[in-house]
Parts: sequence; C-alpha cells; structure tokens
Amino acid sequence: MIPVHLPLVELLIDIFAASILVTAFLIVSSRSLVFYIRLFALQSLLLGMVALLVVIGYGETHILIAAILTIAIKAIAIPVVLTRVIERIHVQKEIRFRMSITASLMFCGGIVILADSVAQSILRSPHAEASAVTRVLSVSIAMMLIGLFIMMTRQKALTQIIGLLTMENGVFLSGLSITYGMPLIVEVGIFFDILVAVLILGVFVFRINKTFESISIDSLRSLRH
Amino acid sequence: MATIILLSFLFQIILVIALAPLVTGIIRKTKARFQHRRGATVLQPYYDLVKLMRKDVVVSSVASWLFHCTPFVVFSSMVVISLLVPTVVTPVPLHWVGDIIAVIYLFALGRFFMALVGLDTASAFGGLGSSREMSIASIVEPAMMLAIFTAAVTAGSTDLSVIVDRLSTTPASMLNPSHLLAFAGLFVVSLAETGRIPVDNPATHLELTMIHEAMILEYSGPYLALIEWASQVKLVIFLALMANMFFPLGMATTWSPSALAVGAGAFLLKVIGLALIVALVESTNAKLRLFRVPELLVVAFILSLLSLILYFIVGA
Amino acid sequence: MVDWEAFQPAALTVMLGGYALGGVVPAILGILWRNRTKPGGSLTGAVKNIGFGLALAAALAGCLLSLSILISGTPLHMEFLPTAHVGMMGFHADTLSALFIGAISLLGAAAACFSLGYAAEFLLRRSMVLLVVLYNFFVLSMIGVLIADHALLFLFFWECMSLTTYFLITFEHEEHAARRAGFLYIVMTHIGTAFLLVMFLLLYSTAGSFAFEAFRMEGARLPASTQSVVFLCATIGFGIKAGIIPFHIWLPEAHPAAPSNVSAMMSGVMIKTGIYGMVRVFFDFLGPVIPGWWGVLILTIAVTSSVLGVLYALMEHDLKRLLAFHSIENIGIILMGVGAALLFASWGNRPLAVIALIAGLYHVLNHAIFKGLLFLGAGSVLHAAHTRNIEDLGGLIKRMPWTAFFFLIGAIAISGLPPLNGFISEWLTFQALLLGFHIPDLTVKIVIPLTVALLALTGALAAACFVKAFGITFLGLPRSGHADRAGESSFTMLAAMGFLALLCIFLGIAPGPIVSVLNPLASSLLEEASTGQIVMHAGTVLIPRSASASISPAALTGLLVVIAAIPLAGISIFVLKSRSRIAPTWACGLERIDPRMQYTATGFSKPLRIIFSDIFRATHEVGISEEPSPYFRPTITYELKTESVFLKYLYEPVFRSIVSAARIIRRIQTGRIQTYLAYIFVTLILLLLFAR
Repeated sequence: MIPVHLPLVELLIDIFAASILVTAFLIVSSRSLVFYIRLFALQSLLLGMVALLVVIGYGETHILIAAILTIAIKAIAIPVVLTRVIERIHVQKEIRFRMSITASLMFCGGIVILADSVAQSILRSPHAEASAVTRVLSVSIAMMLIGLFIMMTRQKALTQIIGLLTMENGVFLSGLSITYGMPLIVEVGIFFDILVAVLILGVFVFRINKTFESISIDSLRSLRH
Repeated sequence: MATIILLSFLFQIILVIALAPLVTGIIRKTKARFQHRRGATVLQPYYDLVKLMRKDVVVSSVASWLFHCTPFVVFSSMVVISLLVPTVVTPVPLHWVGDIIAVIYLFALGRFFMALVGLDTASAFGGLGSSREMSIASIVEPAMMLAIFTAAVTAGSTDLSVIVDRLSTTPASMLNPSHLLAFAGLFVVSLAETGRIPVDNPATHLELTMIHEAMILEYSGPYLALIEWASQVKLVIFLALMANMFFPLGMATTWSPSALAVGAGAFLLKVIGLALIVALVESTNAKLRLFRVPELLVVAFILSLLSLILYFIVGA
Repeated sequence: MVDWEAFQPAALTVMLGGYALGGVVPAILGILWRNRTKPGGSLTGAVKNIGFGLALAAALAGCLLSLSILISGTPLHMEFLPTAHVGMMGFHADTLSALFIGAISLLGAAAACFSLGYAAEFLLRRSMVLLVVLYNFFVLSMIGVLIADHALLFLFFWECMSLTTYFLITFEHEEHAARRAGFLYIVMTHIGTAFLLVMFLLLYSTAGSFAFEAFRMEGARLPASTQSVVFLCATIGFGIKAGIIPFHIWLPEAHPAAPSNVSAMMSGVMIKTGIYGMVRVFFDFLGPVIPGWWGVLILTIAVTSSVLGVLYALMEHDLKRLLAFHSIENIGIILMGVGAALLFASWGNRPLAVIALIAGLYHVLNHAIFKGLLFLGAGSVLHAAHTRNIEDLGGLIKRMPWTAFFFLIGAIAISGLPPLNGFISEWLTFQALLLGFHIPDLTVKIVIPLTVALLALTGALAAACFVKAFGITFLGLPRSGHADRAGESSFTMLAAMGFLALLCIFLGIAPGPIVSVLNPLASSLLEEASTGQIVMHAGTVLIPRSASASISPAALTGLLVVIAAIPLAGISIFVLKSRSRIAPTWACGLERIDPRMQYTATGFSKPLRIIFSDIFRATHEVGISEEPSPYFRPTITYELKTESVFLKYLYEPVFRSIVSAARIIRRIQTGRIQTYLAYIFVTLILLLLFAR
C-alpha cells in the first residue's frame, strides 16, 4: 500500500486521540456500569480508527490486522460479553467511591499534564521524530495512568475490568505511537490474552456476585482468613 | 457610508433581538415533536410576549425599587451584549467597547440583579431560586472562562471580532482537537448558563426543580415579558458565540448588501442548527439532580482544560 | 507651573501635623478636664469633633500631596537625622508611596467624616478621647510606614501601627471576643515583625546601611540564595499583615472587633501596607532580575487566598466578619497581579510585567474604596439595628434607603461587575494573564490557565456572597424587631458613603487618569524604559499594548443607560401608569407572608456548602425538644459548624507543641532560689569553659 501522508490524516489522528482521552474522562465522570461499557466500546472503536489511519497514512500494512482485531474484539466482542454479565447480575451503578467524582476528574487532569511532560521528555531524545503519531504518546501514557487510577478508586469488579481494559488501550496506543505498532504476533497474542482474561473475569464477577451477593471487591477481603 | 453601516448595524441587533423568540419557539416545537406531540406554533413565544405586554403589572407590597429597575437592567445588559458579539458581520463597529470578558461580566451583572430580586419580595421561592442560580453560576464561570481562554489564546486576543477574524483566515484550525474540545466545553457551559435541561428545566414550575423560574416568580405583565425576552436573547447570544467563535463560516467581512445577506443566511442556519442540537439534548436527557450538576460542570471544566493542554501538545 | 518643591513639604507638614494634632489636642483636653471628657461628659462631643475634624483636614492634605507626587512624578525627599553607621534617616515619598498615601487619604477622609456621626454612639459609653487619640495615631503611623526611608524608622512606625490597632481592636474590651482577637492579632503581627527584622538584617549585612537607598543600590547584587531568603521573609512578614492564607487567622477576628470606622481603615488600607512592603522589597530592592519560582509561589498564595477567602466569606453571617474574609479574597486578587508581574519579569517580559503590576496596584486603590464603603455601610447597619448578624436583619432598603443604595454600589463593585471599578482591575488582571500564556514554559502554561479559571471562580463566588449579604440584610421583610425599628443614618455618615460610592463609579467609568499615573510608576519599578503599556485611546478606550483587545467603560455605561432608558421610558409612560397594582407576595396559599418564610442566609449558602463540602467539612446538629408533647414541639434548634482546616491542621498542632514544650521547660522552674543560683553557676562555668 502506498503511504499517503496527508495533513488530513494527521488531523484526524489528533482528533481521534483527543476523543479517546475524552472517553477516558467520561468513564471517570460517570456512575453507570452500562455507560462504562459503551464508552469503552467507543474508545476501542476510535483506537481502531487511529490504527487504520496509521495504515492509510504511513503505509504500515501489518497494523491492519491489529486494527481489525481491535474493532472486532474490543469494540464488539468484549462489550457484548460484559453487557451480558451486567444483565445477569442486575447491578447498574457504581455507588461508593474512594474519591469523589469531582476530585477524580481534577486528579486525572493533573495526570494528563504529568503524562504530557513525560512524553515530551521522551520525544526530546534524539531518536524520536515528531509526527502526528508521536504526539499521541502523551495521550497513551495518560490512558495507562487513568486506567490504573480507575482500578484504584472504584469498588465494583466490573469497573476494575474497565480500568484494566483502558490501560490496555493505552498500551496499544503507545505501541502505535512509538514504533507504529508492535510485531503482529505480539499484538495478536495480547488480543487473545485480553479476550480470555475478560471472559474469565466475567465469569468471576458472576461467581463473586453469587457468593457475596455483591460485586464490590471489598467483600473479597473476607477471603483473607 | 457611515449611515449605511449604522443602519445595517441596527439591522443586526434587531435581527438578534427579534429572532430570539423564534429560536425558543423552534426548540419548543422540536421537543414537542420528539415527544410525539404536535406542539404550539413556532411563533407562540411572540404571542406570549404580546399577551404579557398587554397585561397588568402586579407588584408585591414588600418589593422595593430594585424590583422595578431589574427588568431593565437585565434587558439592557443583554442588548449591550448583542452589540458586542459578531453575528452576521465582522468586525462589529462597536468591538472596541468590550471584549469577551466584558460580555461574560455583563451576563453576570444581569444575573446579580435577578438574584437580588429573588430575595426582594420575601417569598420563599425567590430565595430558593437565587441561591441555586448563584451557586450554579459560580461553578459555571471557571469552566466558561477556560473554554474562552483557549479561543482567545489561539487568536491572541480577547476581542471577539479579532477571534472571529483570525479563525476565518485559517479555516483548518476549526477542526483542531483543542478547538473542538473547547467547543464541547462551551456547549455544556451554555446549557447551564441558559438554564436548559440537564441543569434547569425552562418549562417547570415545580419548587423542587426550578431555578430560573423561581427567581422571577413574582413578576408579571410587561416586566415578565422583558425578563423572558432577555433570557431568549441570552440563548441566541450563546448560540451565536458558539457558532461564530468556533465556526465563523460564511460571515460577512464587508458591509455590502450581498455579503450581509449571505452572512445573515449563514448565521440563521448555524443558530437554528445549534438550537436543534439543544432540543435534541433536552429531549434525550433527564434533568440532573441539583448536586449532580457540579459533576457535569467539572466535566466541562476538564474538557476546556484538556483543550488547553492539547493546544500546547499539538501546538495548534 | 506649580512649584512642587515648595508645595509638597507644606502638604506633608499639614498632613502629619493634622494627624499629630488630632491625637495630641484631645489627649491634652482629656488630661486637663478629666471629668468633663469622661463618657457622657460635656466635652466629649467637642473632643470627637476636634479629633475627627483634624483627621479630615489631614486626609484632604494627604490627597493633595499624593496627587502632586503622582502627577509631577517628582518624589518628596526629606532627611532629618544623619546617623553615621546605619545610614541617613529620613522620609522619602516616591510615586509608589504616593499611591498608597492616596488610598489612605481618600478612605481616611471618608472615614473621618463618617466618624463624626458614627462615633456619637460611643459618647455615653466609651472614652472618646481614647478613640480619637488612637485613631489619629493609627493613621499617622500608617503614613509613617509608607514614607519611611530607613529600616529602623520603618520598623518604628510599623510597630506603632501594630500597637495602635491592637488597642483599637480591644476598644470594647469587656467583650471576650475583642480581647481574644486582640491577643491573636498582637501575636501574629509580632511573628511577622520578627521575619521583617531578619529580612532587614540580611539586607544590612550586604548594604552596610539601613537606609532604603542603600538597599535599592545593593539589593540586586545580593547572592541568589540570600535574595531568596529575603524574599521568603518578606512574603511571610508582610503576608501576615496583609492577611494571606495561611496567615489569615487573625484577620476575621480582629477586623470585626474594632469600631466600624476603624474596621474600614484596617480592611481598606492597613492590610495594604503589607502589599506596599512586598512591592517595595520585591521590585524596588531585589528586582528586576528574579528567579521564576517567586512568581509561581506568589501566584499560588494569591489563588489560595482569593478562593478560600471568598468561600469562607460565604459561610459567614456576621456582616463584618463576612467583609473581613472578603479582604483576604481581594488581597489574593491584588497578589495575582503582583505574582504575575514577578513571573513575567523573571522571563524577561517586562512590558507584560508592567501590565500585571498595574492591574494589581489598580486593585489596591479599588479595594480600599469599595471595602471602605462596605465597612462604613456595615457600620451604619450596626448603628441602626444593633446587630451584625444578617439572619436578624432584612427589609432595611425601606428603612435606610441611602445606606442600602451605597451598599449596593459597593457590592456591585466588589463583585467585579461592570461598570464599576472592580471590573476594571479584574479585566486588566485577565488581560495580563492571557498575554502571559505565550511564555514558553510548562509551569507557566499550567499556572496561568488555572489562575484565570480560579479568578473567574472567585469573581462569581463573590457575586453570590454579596447577593446573600445585600439580599438578606436589606431586602425582604425585617427578621427582628431591631431591624424593623432601624432608621436612616445621619448626614455625615451618608456623605462619607456617598463620596466613596461616587469614587467607585468614577474609577469604573474613567480609568484614564489612574492608568496614566500607574503607567510610569509600574514602569519605573520594573526598570522598563518604555512607558505607556496601557493606553487610553481617545480618553475612554482602555487598551493594553500588545493585546489587541480593548474596553471602553464609559461607552459601555453609556450604552447600558441609554438602552435601559428607552424601554424604561416606553413602558413607564405607556404601560405602567394606569395598569399596575399592589398585592401581597404569594404565600403558598397561606393568609399572609411572614418574615420566617423567607430564605435565610444559612439556606442561601447551603448549595455551595454542599458543593464545596470537602473544604468546609460542615457538621450540623438538630435539637428537637420533646416537651411538652412529642406532637407539638415548640423549639427546634439547628446548629451548623464549619471547620477551619488551617486552625485544625496547622495552628492547633503548633500551639499544642508549644504548650507541651513549655510544660517541659516549666520543670526547671522549681521556685527555689537555690536552684536558680545553681543554674547561674552552671551557666557561668560552661561559659568560662567555652571561652577558655
């Protein structure tokens, strides 16, 4: 495939990357589990689009499969599975927060600034070349941190999964931004890992709910004894 | 030449002020269609204003002179703002009188007086309304200022006409992610500022939920008409700010009749388009509980903050 | 051409003489006719009139002096005590001093005029001699601080100022609160003085003289680390006086305790001496080459002070305490200008720094005027209704129409709304900050947008707070008998408030003269060659150079009035005349409206209390009496407490550790003389060993 390297492609990558970051923030700002899943699906779809744009704009054909897999697995399969889980366990909302939503949002704003300064210092190294794709690096670092932050401050097991997946999306994005994607075999491996992990976690959530009548991970503490 | 400019300028103000009830009518009609109702005609707000103008004024025995002067302060601040905001043509002749910060503070002036009047008649509802209005306004303000900051920084000026000018010379930057995020932030802020649904319900008179309506509960007749009209103008001004600060397409840059006609057409299209989006948002969302509103506004604040961060990541 | 050389010393003499005489003459009268100047004595009225009359005359002379220095640009210099080792002692009033003298004199004139009526309240209860003497010496020492040209002289006046204010705070000394406030004030202010002393000693160690002239010459040549220590000492030392957070705890206690005319002076101008000190040290002594973190630190302090100040004000229902918290907020806004100026100067962008400094200094003047006005208004309310608790007030707009009108002007001005003066300085601050965003540095790019957002938050919260303060106090129905019986203040009090209200309007509509005076002042402080960073185009349009934005307050006001006047005329003539009727407020179907149905101040601020609950940590208790029967409960009490984070987590631990340290040290206090002799003996032996 011939690289087309258009300013339009760069612009679209920027817009999609910004939108990905916005979805992460919307996850932090929301309480509804269904909304989390929808946002994650949207986020993954946008991520797939970025990957496709890299294929179109920079001629990196090997990402094509990764892009399709991203959309198929993360934007469709995983959300479907998780939605099923929610339907089965009748839990709608994340109720208790370790940190209020307002404070979380402010904190995540700080995370983005931090991520950006880290990314800038990475990009300042002599090997780095600045393009639309490398600019995405700060977004990807921010995504990883926000994912971790979600896992840290939320209670429900399902939200933990969403946090994990957000982190994974961040990892994928950083791979895209620094090396135009990892080798295909690694990507494919990660995808199946994630898919299997989500399936198992989904079963776990279901089991936890049956055993403790809640999916709040605080209940797991009683397993300590 | 000067008289032509003056005349067309007058035309521009009159366009905004006269158009305001129509925009409200369109939003109401659209919402009605969403609810599978036929709804009143889009001209209904005009009929309402005329009806109110003809009615008596009932003044509370507790009310002071503030009660009598507030409708005029509110209305005149809206009219002054519509002199400063570029709608059809840029630069507006009076752009040197005030910039976007002056516009924001003029809104605040009107709100200040309206909130005072809520307390003036000793009614419990009035106090409830002004308390809620001022609380929400104070968390709206930082988000709004930040969204506007992005636009101002991009243009290097807070003068609205300059912002519009600079943006229309570089149309590509209209699609910058930072620009789009600031727009999203301002959109949320505008919903709050004009009392639209996720924040306040313009159609309710239920004491649990009303904000704006509670403040003006004691008003009647021509006073009420002025205040209602002013809030309709406010909505149009916000739509115009969103349309022209972020997508100044089709704006006239000269005072020739043809350019003005194109500008007016573009303005109408943009404003009505945005009004339809507002109606869509109002129809598909429920009103938030009062203490969920700050979370929404923090999202707006963060969107604006992200837009600034992206502005210096991407470098626009 | 006026002969400034001759005029300025004369004006200075008249001013200082006026205050000094205003202090000395009543004191002599008090000594000569002790009985007749006692509370209720026949001479008390004369003492009051002489004292405040002289203060008024002195303040007017001060206005002229300040004007002459500001317009001519020639500083006033007087040397009177050549001391060989520590430098020349004398007075030096440059344009910076003159600006602050102007603020003191404008407010001082109003406060003196107000006192002529207001102090009558104390004629029967208090020693008028004491009040007059303290007041005059208080103002005199403030002027002294501003014109001192020598560190020792400066500290002398600084301490005089602290002491006179201490006695004024404890003027109503039977009140426990006043004594407590006075104690807190004197402790805090002396901690501040200690830091100032360290600062001056550090400067002396390099300059070899205590004269400010020497500091000016040598300050820039100090090693960077010493400069930074001097900077920190000045920030803390002057910051305590200015009431910056976290050193603010004395301010909301002390300002309300003093008589209202003094509160106006304290809140309006005394805390500004802290700002004066900071500007003098930062720019005049140390500048203009400045490390970047200074500006960031000052901006952080500024933002914290302004946001927390206004948030705490929102929770206050004591009118004077509320105003005192707003002083903290406004000091924050002033420091935003100063901090931004430091930040821009450190990046070498001096023209921009000039704009920021002008914004800060303009707000100094504005705050002096509107805060003075508001405190005088609060004094009038207190005078008429005998309570400061706004929950007991209401409906005063009908009983004190003029006071209400002037207070409303002050409220609009302090909320930063157009077309009054608060708007101009906030607008300039916004402009300076916006222009500074282009400095290529990550910290700057983070600090500036946050400052902008929080300044907007501050402005909006201030508006909310003054809707509460004005609305609950003046509007609606009176909530107590006191408020119901209140009557309008005397003419002198109204005249004083009217004068300040006019100034609020004038400074809002015509910023030209002030800006033209502040331009060279800020430029010379920052050693920026080109003057005219802010231009007044055609006399009405305010344009900061390098910003392509402008406002024209005069045109804005004109448009507001003309456009308001057209529908006003139309409606009032054609519509209202015949068709308006008066009816009671709708009382939800009950028979008539009752004052208790109105919103309370507590209720008004509740949404914000919930939104910012992380800051307030409010707790409330509802007490319901079960007597006489559970179905008819005669009293329900509702008690609400907000927690002061600083008191709990900063001051109380410090106090506790001081007290426990004192307990340990107390063990050596046995009370036996032999033990003390033993201490002396051991010390002597140790010293001898050490000095061997």
